[in-house]
Amino acid sequence: MHIPDGFLNNNLAGGLLAGSVGMLGYCLSKILKTVPVASRVLTNNVSGTGIDSHLGFSENANKYFQKLALIALWVFAFQMFNIPVKSATSAHLLGGAFAAILAGPFAGFAIISFVLITQSLFFSDGGILALGANIFNMAFIGSFLSYYAYKSFSRRIHCLGVFIACFFSVMTASLICLLELGLSGSIMFSTAFKDMMNLHLGVACLETLITLALIKAFRSINGQSNE
Amino acid sequence: MNKKNLVFIIPIFTALLASLFASKLPDTLETLAINYGFEDKAKETFSLFSGYSFPFVENHHASTFIAGIIGLVILYILFKITTTAIRSLAK
Repeated sequence: MHIPDGFLNNNLAGGLLAGSVGMLGYCLSKILKTVPVASRVLTNNVSGTGIDSHLGFSENANKYFQKLALIALWVFAFQMFNIPVKSATSAHLLGGAFAAILAGPFAGFAIISFVLITQSLFFSDGGILALGANIFNMAFIGSFLSYYAYKSFSRRIHCLGVFIACFFSVMTASLICLLELGLSGSIMFSTAFKDMMNLHLGVACLETLITLALIKAFRSINGQSNE
Repeated sequence: MNKKNLVFIIPIFTALLASLFASKLPDTLETLAINYGFEDKAKETFSLFSGYSFPFVENHHASTFIAGIIGLVILYILFKITTTAIRSLAK
């Protein structure tokens, strides 16, 4: 679902890029507040003449940031793996639900944004001007919508929560993507609506299966994690 | 195997599998663009590892795998830089 440059008009793409940069800054500041960053670390100074204190990350904060980096690596690697979903079409993990369920919506947004930035700048996977639209579709909707959908339904059954999170985030992201293309004059929204939804039904099912497997694998390897 | 290593090995192994078995079919958006005739509007942007290929390696699978590993390293460095920046901002 990576939109390349040229599909969107410049005004829309530029506006979404500015909004995404602002949102990324906000999410980073929220992450900063959630971890005990400025915890005082007391260490013996090298000369051994006494105790020296300095500001730094607590061990928990370091582990938290390490976990975010690892989730990003997993999302990047699994996004490389395109799987055929219908005749002559393939799809890959979007990863928003996976990141948001494991790390929370703000960290999930930052993780997917960093993955998209890397893909756009170094791999031509998604345009540079269209990066804002891709961040909005995959990181914002993928993280926030899926996180709150998961929270609403996961109390009863974890799998149901993951399914609803993946299904609604993928279908909404594809709908917004189509809306952006329609507003840019690349396509008629009403004409392509049915095709777009049909194509992404398979993606939503794929997203659910991979997300369920990845959450289980990540938690068993990295330990039960809190957001 | 040490669990700490496994969290790094899984994405590397996935990149290897992706380089060998990932589908070459167009993705959903490309399919839509082809079906509705606006795929020509896409502008190619230059990047070092365009299309997940390492420029100096002829073998397609090896080229994709190396590009994937480089992507993982870039992403990890990006996170380390961000963590360092946050640490310095917190002081």
